[in-house]
Amino acid sequence: MMKYEIRYGAVGGQGIITAGALLVDIAVEMENKFAIASPTYTAAVRGGPTKVDVIISDEAIDFPHAQAIDFFLCTDQKPYDIYKERLKDDAIVVVDSHLVHELGDTRNWKVYHVPIINETKVGAGNVVLTSVVSLALTQKMTNVISYDNMVAHIKRWAPKGTVEMNMKAIEVGMNLIK
Amino acid sequence: MSQRKVLQGNIIIAKAALAAGCDFFAGYPITPSSEIAQYMSKEMPKMERAFIQMEDEIASLGACIGASLAGKKALTATSGPGFSLMQEHLGMAVMAEVPLVIVNVMRGGPSTGMPTKPSQADMMQARWGTHGDHPIIAVYPAFSDEIFSETVRAFNLSEKYWNPVIILLDEVLAKAHMDVEIPDPGSYEVYWEKTHEISDLNIYDRNIGENPPRIDFFHSYPIHIDSLEHDAHGWPSFDAKTVDKMQRLRMEKIYYNLDDIIKYKEYFLDDAEVLVFSFGISARAALAAVKMAREQGIKAGLFQALTVWPFPRAALQERFKKTKKVLTVELNMGQMKYEIERIAPPDVKKQTLLRANGLPFSPGEVLETIKEFVK
Repeated sequence: MMKYEIRYGAVGGQGIITAGALLVDIAVEMENKFAIASPTYTAAVRGGPTKVDVIISDEAIDFPHAQAIDFFLCTDQKPYDIYKERLKDDAIVVVDSHLVHELGDTRNWKVYHVPIINETKVGAGNVVLTSVVSLALTQKMTNVISYDNMVAHIKRWAPKGTVEMNMKAIEVGMNLIK
Repeated sequence: MSQRKVLQGNIIIAKAALAAGCDFFAGYPITPSSEIAQYMSKEMPKMERAFIQMEDEIASLGACIGASLAGKKALTATSGPGFSLMQEHLGMAVMAEVPLVIVNVMRGGPSTGMPTKPSQADMMQARWGTHGDHPIIAVYPAFSDEIFSETVRAFNLSEKYWNPVIILLDEVLAKAHMDVEIPDPGSYEVYWEKTHEISDLNIYDRNIGENPPRIDFFHSYPIHIDSLEHDAHGWPSFDAKTVDKMQRLRMEKIYYNLDDIIKYKEYFLDDAEVLVFSFGISARAALAAVKMAREQGIKAGLFQALTVWPFPRAALQERFKKTKKVLTVELNMGQMKYEIERIAPPDVKKQTLLRANGLPFSPGEVLETIKEFVK
């Protein structure tokens, strides 16, 4: 049985809840998997710490919140401090190098420090594209969805006139970690 | 072909309601149920079905009662504070025997409480929120496919038994995006009670245990609908014999039909040493916990109530003949545990896992409690 657990942590408005929903859309509708995204739902969507748990599995999912996280991406210190629990010992952890500084005990995690937010602004041209940048980064680091399906889905999903900038965001995400 | 797609729990409810023939929605949006009203406001006008945003929840249920009496399948959606406001009209719907469906996406209470946090603390309100002895049906889906099927079933039950039906849902699932199998139309029952040509004005006249007929309110004799206790004509009556009959007619249309109304799921119970009783999001944690317990050689099973009211008493009592330990898991300070205490024989050991701080139980927490309990 394949079961993969992903958590995104950020501050409200950065777009990670969208990234979680996109991941589920692709896994279910294009790859015929079972998947669920459980977002925090609070006033924090307007600036406080937020997270979304995504579970992707070959089998129906019993419990919708992550219990043993394989991949954790976090773009701010405060959500990092709150949401770093329930990570597997060998989890892949990607943090924003400008915004997350104190990692604490990193156990056997594979930790990557990358300027996600800054590269999104500079490389993709708009911070709202953090969602797609994070999605692409996840695809590259985990292979939990296929690259081709991701591109096809984003082309279809992107609002009119934004396909190009979303493709650029995918490129930024794919190149953040060499 | 049915299709698996990704939908939010609230949207699954809205889609299922439309599939069940819901053609009237009146509501006042409230977190965490708002997407239901939002979706209906967009979709219903396209289908030439009525959507009204009301001034509050009292008016919302009032409008639903009126629409239902005019032959519509009516729905409203709310959360704890709005559900509290609806209790008076809920009683009116029970008394006048008006079919309608109320969704309560529960949030932390009391009062405005924690609008964005899950809770299972309206269990007893769903049963006894309105005053007086009254029958009620409440269903509580936990998995995405159940959210669809139980919503359709809620409409069918309300239509069949001329009674309000409450759908309880967890905030966690209302907001989650998840895979769901939307069945093909025609693959599930949609119950339409035919309106009856009435030959006289005895609209409430029937035998104990029988369903009332659906009345063609506007196209037949002028009939009287009253929230006061009434006789077979619908006219106020406090005659002891009449009142006794009417009370029994209302209660027993439900209690004579428990086999049709009560639904539950049983997992790993045949040889279970401990039965976990749960519902909604807590049942999902419990199912994961029971599976982990089995891997560790602990004989645990899950009884997941889909119909929470009327309480699935007979099915549980059957299990208690063999299983002598019951663990109730619910996100409140202890509500349904009292139902278990009422029905479980004295030789059944009872344990609970309760919490009301806005955090759902994890499978690990349920597993630890099971392990302690079987020691």
